[in-house]
Amino acid sequence: MAIKWGMVIDLDRCTGCEACVVACRAENNIPTAGADQAARERAIHWIRVERYWEGEFPDVRLRFRPVLCQQCEAAPCEAVCPTYASHHTSEGLNAQIYNRCIGTRYCGNACPYTVRFFNFYNPVWEKPFHLQLNPDVSIREVGVMEKCTFCIQRIQAAEIQAEAENRELKDGEFTTACAQSCPPKALVFGDLNDPASEAARLSRSNRGTKLLGELGTKPAVTYLEPESWEG
Amino acid sequence: MERRDFFKVAAVTGATAALDGCGKPENQLIRFIPEEDLAPGAAEWKPSICTMCPAGCGLMVKVMEGDAEVVRNGKLGLIKMGLAKKLEGNPNHPINQGKLCPRGQAGLQVTYHPDRIRHPLKRTGPRGSGQYQEISWEEAIKELASQLSSLRTANQTGSLAFLTRPLRGQRRELIERFLSALGAPPAVTIEAFDDAVLRRADLLSFGHAQLPTYDLARSNYVVVFGADFLGTWNSPVAQSVAYGEMRQGRPGVRSKFVMIESRMSQTGANADEWIPARPGTEGVLALGLAHVLLQELIRPSADTARAIALIQGWAEGLQDYTPQAVEKGTGVPAATVIRIAHEMISHQPALAIIGGAPLAQTNSLFAAFAVNALNALLGNVGKRGGIFFTPQPAQASRQNSLSTASDQGSLAALHRFLDPLLQSSPAAAKALLTYDANPVFAGPPGLRVREALENIPFIASFDSFIDETSILADLVLPDHSPLESWLDDTPESGTASTTISLALPAVRPLHNTRAMPDVLLDVAHQLGANLHAALPWKTFDEMLHDAYGGLDNAKRAGDPNADWDKMKEQGGWWSTEPQKPAAPAHPISQSAVSLAQPEFDGDEKDFPFHFLPFASQMLLDGSLAHLPWMQETPDPTSTAMWSSWVEINPKAAERLGIKQGDLVEVASQHGKLQAPALISPGIAPDVVAMPVGQGHENFTRYASGRGANPFSILAPMVVNETGSLAWAATRVKITRVGKGKLILFAGGMHEGPQETERR
Repeated sequence: MAIKWGMVIDLDRCTGCEACVVACRAENNIPTAGADQAARERAIHWIRVERYWEGEFPDVRLRFRPVLCQQCEAAPCEAVCPTYASHHTSEGLNAQIYNRCIGTRYCGNACPYTVRFFNFYNPVWEKPFHLQLNPDVSIREVGVMEKCTFCIQRIQAAEIQAEAENRELKDGEFTTACAQSCPPKALVFGDLNDPASEAARLSRSNRGTKLLGELGTKPAVTYLEPESWEG
Repeated sequence: MERRDFFKVAAVTGATAALDGCGKPENQLIRFIPEEDLAPGAAEWKPSICTMCPAGCGLMVKVMEGDAEVVRNGKLGLIKMGLAKKLEGNPNHPINQGKLCPRGQAGLQVTYHPDRIRHPLKRTGPRGSGQYQEISWEEAIKELASQLSSLRTANQTGSLAFLTRPLRGQRRELIERFLSALGAPPAVTIEAFDDAVLRRADLLSFGHAQLPTYDLARSNYVVVFGADFLGTWNSPVAQSVAYGEMRQGRPGVRSKFVMIESRMSQTGANADEWIPARPGTEGVLALGLAHVLLQELIRPSADTARAIALIQGWAEGLQDYTPQAVEKGTGVPAATVIRIAHEMISHQPALAIIGGAPLAQTNSLFAAFAVNALNALLGNVGKRGGIFFTPQPAQASRQNSLSTASDQGSLAALHRFLDPLLQSSPAAAKALLTYDANPVFAGPPGLRVREALENIPFIASFDSFIDETSILADLVLPDHSPLESWLDDTPESGTASTTISLALPAVRPLHNTRAMPDVLLDVAHQLGANLHAALPWKTFDEMLHDAYGGLDNAKRAGDPNADWDKMKEQGGWWSTEPQKPAAPAHPISQSAVSLAQPEFDGDEKDFPFHFLPFASQMLLDGSLAHLPWMQETPDPTSTAMWSSWVEINPKAAERLGIKQGDLVEVASQHGKLQAPALISPGIAPDVVAMPVGQGHENFTRYASGRGANPFSILAPMVVNETGSLAWAATRVKITRVGKGKLILFAGGMHEGPQETERR
């Protein structure tokens, strides 16, 4: 069966530490906006940790939820793109072709998860920060939308390697930058069409939910809701 | 001819052509030849050690070939060299097991920071002006050697001081040997959030002056007093890995996690039950739990008698700590105390952890003893699901006393160093060497650090950045970045395995910097006989090889991984099985302590709020504020970026007429500062909290002049027994000043003022 990439996020393991956020930034050449642009909500984070307060002091709760592109099967962002820059791959990714993008930002408006980001200016890396840039990931210029790719550069490298060695990809032989860094192993990436993969196994958990699942977007990301302690 | 050799020849030929007519090209050729055997486009993974905090996680550095503009032989040119592209956790390392925290991920930005000091500097303007001129390494080392040598001639080497961040392993050993051979006092270690209290308590309770390792993964109940163990405290990655297992790693078993603190931290947000207690009363609550356990006829085992004996009234069943008395003292309902104690009994192994603000009160040693006694009562020491002490390798340090971090507070040590300078006493330091320590930023105002340092005739710094302390240096001898250095480490906590981390430089130096240990060795040799004898190595890697290479197989019980080459390949050596730490040191006599009430600076009437500074998840103690990745990562609980803020309870804010984002003034008896208010439901009405990290005057283009520094208004309160700074013992008042600016990351979270500003 064809591969379908997906992710499981166990909210009972997630501590809200944001290792995933910085790992993603380092892997995917995400520029820093600086204080002024950040104040105008132009900071780019392909993955973020949302946090929600519940209750009042002292009966107060704070919950974390890492949110990245949900790689929807029925993605609202794809249908609205006039140039097919936003499109669906055979392996289930919502991919973005930067040099097709003309910056209408329709996709950003259509996305219910607000995980697509517009480049309001050309990114700048003050020298020699540019020496750290990952050569496997292209830099996005002013006027294009960008988003989480499930680290497609890592997917491709692993697929090429497996093909060169004339073998199947093994579950867990590579993972996304966010999942690799995650200390409590809250993020698990893998092929959902391989029933034996860790991601597929966890996605069948009875704690599993989809973010805004009622919209019918069919996300490839499954959240495992936190359990409560029962003595 | 090999393909690679052909390319080298081609490169030389091309370079020769390019250099025609520029003097003697053959002298310059070397800089155009690739420095390493890297295949273009292919990544090499090299082990290293994270130095962003003292936990000591193992790294794997992704190194790829790239073009860098560098100065070689005094000329700027483009060369191909190995560049660090990404950091991952070393999957085999026993501390972090392949994982990394956000700060560790940002380690790359230290190496490639645009404001790194690129070459040795000599001060030209007035001290503190930041005016320097570039000098050569030969001049710089000569200058340092001649300063030290004239101290020696004048018989004044006793007035040489060395300030450093906490160090372990051979770097520490080298500095100590250097200082002792010169006849100078030991280095002063600066740790802003000083854990000396817990080390001291653990020494007296359990015989180990170390931060503990907690077996969270196998515990069934965890009560945490203030410790931000999933964010910034102790060994956060090791603890977070274990936390994941504690939650979902065991089918059918899920531990309960109870957090006790007065302001909800990132760690506290993950608790099953969150209980605010009055600041400084955590020890009372711990003994209240112990009281109930004793009533249920739980009895400690004999081997933990020492920890128990430190608490007055234990034999009588802790009669001062009945649930009713605890409710009165701490504000935690008696029923809650009884319930949690009963849950601990029925869900063993049950573990207690203390750290952070409860250990930064005047009565902290009492609180730490109380939690240690609670753990002793529950039979947790050295047991599954309990507390372990990482066995310290004998090889870690030749002088055993140096193998663990200090149990003496750094504030007391700073006082001993600074006070003579302020009094112009003859005992005052005449020369100072600083290494990655920034007491001008982290010292409370009462210390008058800057004023004192200005009285020192000669200051040299090994820092990689100009900050509030290194800007006072007369001479700057910039160190390599950690990824460019030989590193070693013997972690204090985070694993039950004996661990020695070792790393070669992952990449070549980008700038004209030199490794601090190599500079010290160089200077030692210039200073002659007795220093040379104490430090016989030419370079630091020889010293490391001597320390760890010479004791290969025999000493490590036939473990083939103990081999020097194998250590270099895998990033160190660690025992595959957990090991028992060395037997506890002989008991230090310490009489039992009774309840000590916390003292606070400032009258409750004039200064109605407790002031709680906390380590920032991204900027830590401020030493990472220069990294734009850290500045732009939203704080986990507030989502603030690039700024300071003051957290205040909604009811308290309403009473004072303060709205979200308003600029407020926070004043103690010792200073005041201004920052925007952040209305937070997770903070007690009589507490205001503020992240540490911003408020730098001088610390690169990204941190300078941004936000406010909560250290700058702290009272000089100390933990009575260790002389550590009691950084949570200051009271403040709050007033609204005007409109302020909060930079929050709204993301998908539609709440607060951001939403109304949206389209």
